[in-house]
Amino acid sequence: MTGSDVPNVDMPNIPRPQRQDEPAVTDADLAALLAGTADAAPGLRPVADVLAALTAEPTGIELTGEDRALAEYRRRAGAPVPAQRARRSTAGLTSRFGVKVGASVTAVAVVLGGGAAAAFAGVLPAPIQRFAHEAIGAPTPPPQHAPPHHDRPGVHRQPAVRGGPGANRQGGPHAASTPTAKGSPPAKGQYGKPHGKGQQGQGGGQGSHGNGQGQGNGQGQGNGQGHHGNGQGQGNSQGQGNGQGHHGNGPHGPAQQGSPHKKGPHGSPQMNRRPAGHPRRSTHTRPVMDT
Amino acid sequence: MIGEEFADLLAAAQGGSEAAFSRLWRNGNPALLRYLRVIAPGAEEDIAAETWVCVVRGLSSFTGEEQAWRAWLFTTARRRAIDLARHRSRRPEAALDEFTAAQLPSSEDSAEAAMENLSTAAAIALVAELPRLQAEVILLRVVAGLDTESVARMLCKSPGAVRVAAHRGLRRLAQLTAEAGVTL
Repeated sequence: MTGSDVPNVDMPNIPRPQRQDEPAVTDADLAALLAGTADAAPGLRPVADVLAALTAEPTGIELTGEDRALAEYRRRAGAPVPAQRARRSTAGLTSRFGVKVGASVTAVAVVLGGGAAAAFAGVLPAPIQRFAHEAIGAPTPPPQHAPPHHDRPGVHRQPAVRGGPGANRQGGPHAASTPTAKGSPPAKGQYGKPHGKGQQGQGGGQGSHGNGQGQGNGQGQGNGQGHHGNGQGQGNSQGQGNGQGHHGNGPHGPAQQGSPHKKGPHGSPQMNRRPAGHPRRSTHTRPVMDT
Repeated sequence: MIGEEFADLLAAAQGGSEAAFSRLWRNGNPALLRYLRVIAPGAEEDIAAETWVCVVRGLSSFTGEEQAWRAWLFTTARRRAIDLARHRSRRPEAALDEFTAAQLPSSEDSAEAAMENLSTAAAIALVAELPRLQAEVILLRVVAGLDTESVARMLCKSPGAVRVAAHRGLRRLAQLTAEAGVTL
């Protein structure tokens, strides 16, 4: 701040801009400048030059990435290539899906077939064997401790002691009973021709992919099971005949008043004390013994 | 701007014509780089390349006029720039002066390119001095060729706010050119 004693000539002479001399910049001018539709106002010409430089022709360095963009375009937007890739991928997916389904079906078939074979071979655990017996007619499971008993006339025989030397007690030579059962046991089979005949006795046959045949005469029982083969057994008189075949043919074995037990070449010997024609617990197949 | 040919070019590019796509790229990429030099300096080429990858992916499903095409192009680039900024904020990179000159990328004709870009580079440098919103609005209006409504949608602003920002930016540019005496 200057004092009152300072002469006016010593005061600094600061020129002030003459705002009235400047061209007024209106919003319309700015809008026209942005739109590039009219010549810029005199005060905006440097700005117009800046904007023109911003929209100048592209330089070489600004076009250097074209190859990369075109490569991406060929890779992704080329119509034929993605379409073929999509078809291939869809076909591959279908093929892989088919393979999985086929493998699953094969695995299930193997498991079921093996289970059925094991069931007819009687080697499954007792509960499973019992279930298999009810479901597909496999032999019943053996009791854990079968009490020894002698066949007596009129004794209602309990089924299913399988194998073993004691199995031939049923229908032993001295067994005597009056046969009342009809000899027309139903045969149960799968994919085979089970056949059972009986005369005054029972005959049962089971077959799986084969023939099973059993004959029983007199009071005996005949039971045959076949699995992939033929099994046949005959029992005469008071005996019992069981035959099982497994992948083969059970030889025709004449029963000799007892319990001839026949087995197929590839099968395991089985003694089935179960009354023949058992599969469904049919009344036609259950032996009824007179007491 | 391409103009009346745009619809045919777009259809051809969508049908697999490399020439048509090249034309679209040559028209859009320089403007894209100039915009990105302001909002993502130093990463403009990478972001532009990523932008075109996204554009190629969505090219077959794009429908619209040239204005919509350019809005899509610059919106994609802006999003890529924002993503890059977030990524860099989480993983800060080493300072540039830690690298030797031999490690820095360079091209044989960099000096020539610098001479070519002198005017454009000076203009971009001036615009980069503006506040971010003003600079972006001016670039989108002038370089991208978008109208006020399209810019407003891109920036999530009202058209009035975009208009005000553009006018303020131009006035500020006038001051900057007057103070610096810039001769482009």
